[in-house]
Amino acid sequence: MTIVSGKTEVRQRLQPGWSGMLRKIWDHRADYAYVVPAIAVMLIVIAYPIYYTIELSFFNTPPGLQLRDKIFVGFDNYTAILTSEVFWKVTWNTLVWTFVSTFFSFVLGFAAALALHRDFIGRGVLRAILIIPWVISAVAASYIWKWIYHSDFGIIGAILVEFGLADRPPNFIDSVGTVLPSLIVVNIWREFPFAMIMMMAGLQTVPDQLLRAAKVDGANAWQRFWHVTFPHLRNVSTVTILLLAVANFNSFIIPWIMTGGGPSNASHIWITHIYELAFGRQRWGVASAYSVLLFLILMTLGYFYVRALSGNERKDDSA
Amino acid sequence: MSTIAETASRGQTRRRMRIDGWRWGGRVFLAFMLLYTALPMIWMLLTSIKSGFAAMQLPPQWWPDQPTLASYQKLLDPQNSVGQDFLRFFWNSLFVSTATTILSVIVAVPAAYAFSRFTFPGRNFLFFAVLLRNMFPAVIFLVPLFILMRAIGLVNTHGSLVLTYLTFGLPLAIWLLKGFYDNIPVQLEQAARIDGATRLQAFILIVMPLSAPGIIATAIYSFIGAWNEYIYAYTFLSKNEQLTLPVGIQRFFSENTTDFPGLMAASFMMSVPVVVLFLVLQRYFVRALTEGAVKH
Repeated sequence: MTIVSGKTEVRQRLQPGWSGMLRKIWDHRADYAYVVPAIAVMLIVIAYPIYYTIELSFFNTPPGLQLRDKIFVGFDNYTAILTSEVFWKVTWNTLVWTFVSTFFSFVLGFAAALALHRDFIGRGVLRAILIIPWVISAVAASYIWKWIYHSDFGIIGAILVEFGLADRPPNFIDSVGTVLPSLIVVNIWREFPFAMIMMMAGLQTVPDQLLRAAKVDGANAWQRFWHVTFPHLRNVSTVTILLLAVANFNSFIIPWIMTGGGPSNASHIWITHIYELAFGRQRWGVASAYSVLLFLILMTLGYFYVRALSGNERKDDSA
Repeated sequence: MSTIAETASRGQTRRRMRIDGWRWGGRVFLAFMLLYTALPMIWMLLTSIKSGFAAMQLPPQWWPDQPTLASYQKLLDPQNSVGQDFLRFFWNSLFVSTATTILSVIVAVPAAYAFSRFTFPGRNFLFFAVLLRNMFPAVIFLVPLFILMRAIGLVNTHGSLVLTYLTFGLPLAIWLLKGFYDNIPVQLEQAARIDGATRLQAFILIVMPLSAPGIIATAIYSFIGAWNEYIYAYTFLSKNEQLTLPVGIQRFFSENTTDFPGLMAASFMMSVPVVVLFLVLQRYFVRALTEGAVKH
């Protein structure tokens, strides 16, 4: 947040002094009426929860007790988390989950957008079909894939057996080694359409004249992509990758519905772990401390997000 | 405009009669993506028209021997308890999503307009603060919001869901709409002002109709988000008759773990409204992203 306010201050330095600032606010008082409803809702539902989470992270809340009986413990929750084995396991899972999901969602989505950019018969239908996984509920998606991965009657297992690649259907989501990759496949299935839409929208902003000029100058397809198309898409790509990374980091439904974090924490990621700590084991204090750590990580990501976005803003202003 | 250019470049390729490796690569890739995307959905549909016995066979019936709509009949029949529950969940979801959509349009439109048009102190700060909301997972807000909802007496009501959905839908709604307002020339409003309209009149009579596509896109986004939301509904609602579809289906099938045709039928019917809505209005949606999110 400090980064953001620092940026605004730079712009406001044009009119220095508190009285000038106040007068400016007063002059624009009518403008605020338009934003007040949005800001008011945000404050109630966002500022208060953030404050409360931070407060709670310094307290011990024994299960079975009322929340008002909490005991102040200082930084104990934080040291307990950072020294626990589960924390590092879950963190590793989260990193794998986030990086692999984001990378493949983006690459597949970008490639699909490029392949769909040229007009051909059935393009609209194909595009619509490819977007559907992103539109349907993650709960529905989880159940569909849970059935596909089913250890006795799943279709993938059946195909493998049919072609003689396996003696019996493999246990995709019930074994420690395969559960995380299996869930990542589901997540990519749901996320790549988002990257595809964003990159399709971005591709429309690449000037045709430049591509044709490059072609006339003898650039091949790869050179045209690398030297003309891609530089134009740098901003969109940054925003897309950041949004994907944040969404994946914050995933909950797919692991929660499909495995609940099991077997033996192999598919627990931060959010499912926090949820289980808070609502499963009623350890609100530890869960809140986890949330605060998460918050710090996300603020770091958020810094880059805002930078990428304000890169767009500056271009807007100069245009 | 781009189509003309594309037709032209296609003509060139044809004249050269050269097999373009990239193009074939693209086609193979698209075929692969089509299979990856569509096969799970086709398998859902095929399973949903099998009987429970037919679904659980090894090797599976690739095509159902005796297709049956029994699962759908069971879910849509108000006479039995399963159907009653399903239809109630469906209405609950519809109510919550519609209320969220209407409210978020009402709140997001003026905010986006202000962010686009006015330069008031703190404008950038507020804009980015609103966007930053997108960064944080639901879990961070769950516990405090639950306590907050209890304090204002909204626990176990649909109001608690509408209020929360409103906030997580707002950032993107405002962002998308701002892009639309940025593209509407200020001169139009200035002309209206010169003709004697107040600022509010200019906004309602000139800007609102022009930004209708953006508003539609925002509404779709809010609706789909609210329809598919799971974690808040799972935490805030405990009474069976209030559950929304995702939670209701999850509750139901954690008790009936082997009824896969029923589960697939329910997943399918839960997806129908949002998919239809999206397919009908998708051009607004894609355009909103182009203008709002990606514009240079």
